[in-house]
Amino acid sequence: MRSLLAAQRARWQRWLNRRIPPAREVRLDQRRIFIIPTRQGLGFLLLIALLLIGAINYQNNLAYFLAFWLLSLFLVAILNTYRSLSGLVLRHLPSVPVFVGEQACLPLELIAERRSYQALALGWPPAQLSGADVEQGGNTRVELFLPAAKRGWLKPGRLRVESRFPLGLFVAWSWVDLDQQVLVYPAPMAGAIPLADHGAQDDDEGVRIIPAGVDDYQGLRTYQPGDNKRRLHWKAYSRGQGLLVKEFAGLAGRDVWLDFASASGGVEQRLSRLTHAVLTLHQQGHAFGMRLPGVELAPSDSASHRDACLRALALYGLPT
Amino acid sequence: MSGPALIPRISLTWLLAAQALVIIPHLLHVPTWLIPLWLVCGGWRIQIFRQRADYPRGWVKALLLVGVTAGVLLSHGTVVGLDAGVTLLLATFVLKLLEMKRQRDAQVLIYMGFFVVVTAYLFEDSLLSFAYSLLPISCLTAALIGLQQSRFNQRPWATWRLAAGLLLQALPLMLLLFVFFPRIGPLWSMPTPDVARTGLAESMSPADVAELSRSSELAFRATFDGPIPAKERLYWRALTLDDFDGRRWSQSSINRRANVFEPPWQKQGEVLDYQILMQPTGQPWLFALDVAEPAADVGRLQVDFRVQSAVPVEQAQLYRLQSWPEAVRQPQLPDVLRRLNLRLPSGFDPRTRAWAAELRQQYPDDQALVLALLQHFNREPFHYTLRPPVLGQHSNDEFLFATRRGFCAHYAGAMVVVLRAAGIPARVVAGYQGGEVNQTGNYLLVHQFDAHAWVEYWRPGKGWQSVDPTFEVAPERIEFGLEEALADEGSFLEGDLLAGARLRNIPLLNQLRLAWDELNYNWQRWVLGYQGEQQLRWLQSWLGTVDWQRLGLTLVAAVALLLMVLATWLLKPWQARPPAQQRYLQQVERLLAHLGVQRQTGEGARRFSQRAQVAIPAQAAVIKAFFQEYERQVFAGEQVDELALRAACQRLRRALPWWQRWR
Amino acid sequence: MLDTLEKAIASINHVVLGKEQQVRLAVACLLARGHLLIEDLPGMGKTTLSHALAKVMGLSFQRIQFTSDLLPGDILGTSVFDKNSGQFVFHPGPIFAELVLADEINRATPKSQSALLEAMEEGQVTIEGSTRPLPEPFFVIATQNPVSSSGTFALPESQLDRFLMRLSLGYPSPAAEKNLLMGVTRRELMQNLQPVLNHAQLATLQAEVPKVQAREAVIDYVLRIAEASRAQPQFAYGLSPRGALALLAAAKAWALLAGRAYVIPEDVQSVLPAVVGHRVRQQADASGHGGAALVQWLLREVPAL
Repeated sequence: MRSLLAAQRARWQRWLNRRIPPAREVRLDQRRIFIIPTRQGLGFLLLIALLLIGAINYQNNLAYFLAFWLLSLFLVAILNTYRSLSGLVLRHLPSVPVFVGEQACLPLELIAERRSYQALALGWPPAQLSGADVEQGGNTRVELFLPAAKRGWLKPGRLRVESRFPLGLFVAWSWVDLDQQVLVYPAPMAGAIPLADHGAQDDDEGVRIIPAGVDDYQGLRTYQPGDNKRRLHWKAYSRGQGLLVKEFAGLAGRDVWLDFASASGGVEQRLSRLTHAVLTLHQQGHAFGMRLPGVELAPSDSASHRDACLRALALYGLPT
Repeated sequence: MSGPALIPRISLTWLLAAQALVIIPHLLHVPTWLIPLWLVCGGWRIQIFRQRADYPRGWVKALLLVGVTAGVLLSHGTVVGLDAGVTLLLATFVLKLLEMKRQRDAQVLIYMGFFVVVTAYLFEDSLLSFAYSLLPISCLTAALIGLQQSRFNQRPWATWRLAAGLLLQALPLMLLLFVFFPRIGPLWSMPTPDVARTGLAESMSPADVAELSRSSELAFRATFDGPIPAKERLYWRALTLDDFDGRRWSQSSINRRANVFEPPWQKQGEVLDYQILMQPTGQPWLFALDVAEPAADVGRLQVDFRVQSAVPVEQAQLYRLQSWPEAVRQPQLPDVLRRLNLRLPSGFDPRTRAWAAELRQQYPDDQALVLALLQHFNREPFHYTLRPPVLGQHSNDEFLFATRRGFCAHYAGAMVVVLRAAGIPARVVAGYQGGEVNQTGNYLLVHQFDAHAWVEYWRPGKGWQSVDPTFEVAPERIEFGLEEALADEGSFLEGDLLAGARLRNIPLLNQLRLAWDELNYNWQRWVLGYQGEQQLRWLQSWLGTVDWQRLGLTLVAAVALLLMVLATWLLKPWQARPPAQQRYLQQVERLLAHLGVQRQTGEGARRFSQRAQVAIPAQAAVIKAFFQEYERQVFAGEQVDELALRAACQRLRRALPWWQRWR
Repeated sequence: MLDTLEKAIASINHVVLGKEQQVRLAVACLLARGHLLIEDLPGMGKTTLSHALAKVMGLSFQRIQFTSDLLPGDILGTSVFDKNSGQFVFHPGPIFAELVLADEINRATPKSQSALLEAMEEGQVTIEGSTRPLPEPFFVIATQNPVSSSGTFALPESQLDRFLMRLSLGYPSPAAEKNLLMGVTRRELMQNLQPVLNHAQLATLQAEVPKVQAREAVIDYVLRIAEASRAQPQFAYGLSPRGALALLAAAKAWALLAGRAYVIPEDVQSVLPAVVGHRVRQQADASGHGGAALVQWLLREVPAL
C-alpha cells in the first residue's frame, strides 16, 4: 500500500517535472496553473441552488436575477482567480546560510509585469503559507522560513503558490521548483577548541592559542570585501578617509590549525565543536586553518575563509 | 490563508455596511425589536474587533437565541410562515455577527446576506427597490473580496470598486441566463407575504367603494394592440356580485366556486387584443373587458364571465387577452342562475319593492322598464357624491326616495334591487371603469379610484346586458373620470394628500409622473413579467421554434462565447505573446533541432547559424538567409517585417523533406 | 576608416606575434575610451604591445615603472622653483602622455596607485590646487604580475573596476615563438613601425562607438548577464551597474571593429571575459582570481536570445 502511494507520488513528481521544469525563474501561465473551486465555492453553489429554488417557487424574476448574477459571478471568478496568478514571475534569490536549530530563510522575488497581484500565498505545505502582494510593474522580496533541522543543504522541494483572490470561490495554484536551497551549518557546540597536535617543531611555543597575525602592526590599506571587519580602522572612516584596514603581519609557523581528529565525541558532535571553534577564532580575529578528513583549508583570518570552513563543516560526509 | 484565518478589517467594514443595507428594506414589516438587537450585536462585534470586548459565552448565545425565538413568537404568533421566517432569518443574520470568528463564519454570514436580499424581493419588487438592492449586493461582494485581501489593506473603496467591476463582468452572462433559462412552474407552494392590499373584495358595501375611491394606488395597466378604445367602453370586469343581504352585495356560493362551468356565449363583432399588467391583489380574479377568452395558462372564464386564475395573484402578473365586447352572453339562462339573480332578502326596502311592482305594471316589456328606470335616475334630482349621507335599515328606500345622493355602488345596488323586484334577473358587476391614458407609452393606467360598480340584467334570447345607472346621473364620471365628476365637491382623493395623481394639474410634473410610470410599467412588463408565455414568445421571435435541446445548446454556446470574450479582455493574451521574431526563431530552432542541431542556451543567433550551416550544408543557404533576416530585424533595428521573417522561415521549412517539416 | 584600422591592427600583429585576439581587444578598449589592465608574467610582451599600439595609433608614449618607492609626484609631476623667473614652474610628470604604460602597478604603494587611478578616472590632474587636463586621447595600459609575491599591493576591487578590460597575454604559441626567435628583434621592428592613424581619425572612431546601435534584445542580454551574476550563489558579488555599462560600451567598440553598426550577442560574448573577469569573484575563492570560471558559466548558462 505504502509503496503504491510512493510510486504514485513519484509519478506525480515526474509529471510535474515535465510540466513545470525546475528553473530559477518561472512565469506562471496556463501550463503551470491549476484551478478548482474551494469549499466556499461549493457553498456558494449551494446558495445559488437555494436562491434558484426560491425563485422558481415564488415565480419571482428578481430572485432569478440574483441567482443568475451570483452564478455568473461564480463563472467570472474562474477567470479572475486564474488571472490573479497568471503572468506572475517568481525568481530565485540567493539565501544566507543558517545554523541547525535556526529558522532558515529562503527568499524569492515576485515580479509583476503587467498587473498587480493581491493576496498571493506561498509556502511548503503542511507549513502555513505566507501572504504577499505585488504592485504592478514592481517586485517584492518574499522571505519564507523553514526550520533548519539538519546540517547540509536544505532543499524544501516544490513551492506552492496559490491565490484565492478575488472571491475565495476558487483556488488557483502552481507547484514551482525555483531550485531554492539554503546551506545549514552545524549547530555550534561550546567546548575546548580542537587544535591540531603540531608535534615537536612547535615545542617551544607549546600548544596554545597564539595571537597570530595580530602582533605586528604594518600599516593601513583600503578595505576589500572579505576582510575581517574587526580590523577596520573606524577612526579613519569617521574622518572621511574611507574604509581602511589595519594590516598586521602574522609570524610564519605560528598558524593555528583546527583538526577534526582532535575533537571529541561523535561525528556530529565534532563538527559542532569545530563550528564553535571557527566562530570563536574568527570573532577574536585569529588566523586559523582547518583539517577535516579529506579537506584542508589553509590558514586565513578573512570572513570568506570562515565561510569556507563552515561550508566544509556543513557538507562534511554528505553526498554532493 | 488556510487555517483559522481572521477577518480582515475591510471585510468587516463592508459586512457591517452590507448588513445595514440588507436590513433596511425589511424594517417596514419586521418587529421593531430587531433594530436594537442589530445595533447591540453590531456594536459588540466592532468592540471585539478593537479588542475591547470578548466573544459571548455559550450561555449568552443560548439566551439570545431563546429570546429571539420568543420575540418572533410574540410578534407573529408563529415561527412558520413567510413573515415569521424572515424575522427569524434576520435575527439569526444579526446574531451570527457575535459568532463570526473566522473567515468561514464571515462567508456564511455573507451568503445569508444574499439570501435576505432575495426575501426582500418577495415583499417589494419595484424598479426602485431593485435599484436599491444593488447597494447591498455590491457591499456583500466587497465583503467577500475583503476576506481574501491582506489584513494590511486599508482602502475600502478600492475593494468596493473591485466588487462592482466583478459584478459588471458578470452582468452580460447573467442577462443571458435570465433570458434563456426556462421558467418552470412552482415546485411546491410557498408561504406568501401578508401584505395589506387595497382593491376590490369578494363583497361590497357602498362604504367599501368610497374607501377605494380615495386610494390613488395603481390597480393595473393595459396596453392595446390597436388604438385605446374610448373611455365609456372601458368597463373592466373583476367579478359579479349576485347575493344581497340587505346591506352588502357579495358573491353567491355558486358564483364564488371556481370552474363550475363555462357559460355559453357567441363571438360577435370586433375583437380587442390587449395585455394587462396587474398589481398583486391577493385574489384569484383577473381584470378583463367583456367577453374575454383567456389562454389556458392565464386563467379560465367563470360562470359569471369573470376571468379567474388558478392561484391568487400575489405578485404583479402579466397576461394577454382577447375580448369580444359585442358577444352575446348566455342567451339561455339556467333556472338555478335565474333564481339566484332574482333573489332578494325579505324584510328590506318595502317601498322600493312596491315601486318596482308599480313600474312592472306600467312597463310590461323588460327593455322599456330598464329604460324608464335609467330615465328616472337621469330626470330626478339624483346627485353624484363621494360624501353620501348615512343610510339606515332600508338603505335602498332611503336612497331612492329620500337622500338621492350617492355614487356608483348606490346606483348599481339600487337598480339591481328594483330590477329583481320587477322580476328581471340582474346583478352588480364590480370592477374598474375607464383609466388614465399615458400618451408617451400609449397605455392605460387604471387606479384604485377608478373602481366602479355597474349593472347587468338578463334578456331572454339576448343574454346579459350591461347598463350603468351612474352614467345617467354623472356622465362626466364615465367620460372623463372621477376627478371631473367630483370637481365641484373637491373630494377627489381627499385622504391621500401625497397621491401622485394629484399632480395631474401641473403639466411638467404630470409628464414626469407618467414617464416614471412608464418606466415602471416596462420594468414590470419586461423584467418582472418575463415568465412563461412572455418568455416563450420572445424566445420564439429570436430562435424560431423553441425546444429544450435548442435552448440548451444556445445557452451553453452563448455562455462559452461570453466567457471567451471576457477571458480575452481580462488576460489580454496578445500582450503575453512573444514578438514575431522570437516566434519564428523558435519555429526554426524546432526544425533544426529535429535535424540534430540544437541551439545552446548561451549561443547567439550568428554563431548558431554558422554551426547549423556547417552541420546541414544542404540547407546552408536558407538557414543563413533566415538568420540574416533575423539579425537585421532584432539587432540592426530595421523595420520589423513579420512577412519577410515568415517567408524565410517557410523557405527553410520547404527546403526540408516533407517528413521533417512537422514533427 | 575601418580599413585603416584593420591595417593598424595588422601592423601591431606584425610586431606582437600570435596575439590577434588580445590586440583586437586592446584596440577595442582604446576605442571605447577605457583603460586596460594586463595581468601577466614579465617578458610576455606587455611592453611591446603598448609601445606598438602607441606607435601605430600615433600617440605619444610614456612608461612608468611602478616600484615601492614611487611617489605620486613621480607620476603626476612637481612644481620646481625657477631661480630665473622667481616662480614655481610645473614640470609635468610622465602621466601627461597620450598612452601611459604603468608597468607592474601592484609594486607601488596604494597611495601612488591611487594617484594614477584617480587621474584615469577624472581625466585631469590636480596638483597644488591647480587643475591640469590630461591629453586627449588618454589611454592607460597598466600591467601587474599575477602571482602576488612579497612586497606587492594587490589592486582592490574598487580600483580594478576602473579598468574597462583585463587581459592576459599568455605564452605565445610554438609557431609564434619560433618566429619570434628567428626574426628580427622587436626593438628594430618597433622602430620601423609607422603611424597608421592620426589623432583626428582616432577621435572620429572613438566618437563612432557610442553611436553603434544596441537594440533591446542586446540590452536585455546584458541585463540577464548582470542579473545572473547577482543572483547566483557562486558569485561572491555580482556585476555592478558600472560593470554592465562597461560591458555594453566594450561590445559596441567590438561591433565597430567588426564593421557593424549594431551590437549582436556575440559581440558581448567576445568582450565578456576581458570586461567581466576582474569584476566578479567566486564565493568559495578568497583570493579573487577565479573570475574566468564564472565568466565561462555566464557564457554557457545565460540565454543569449
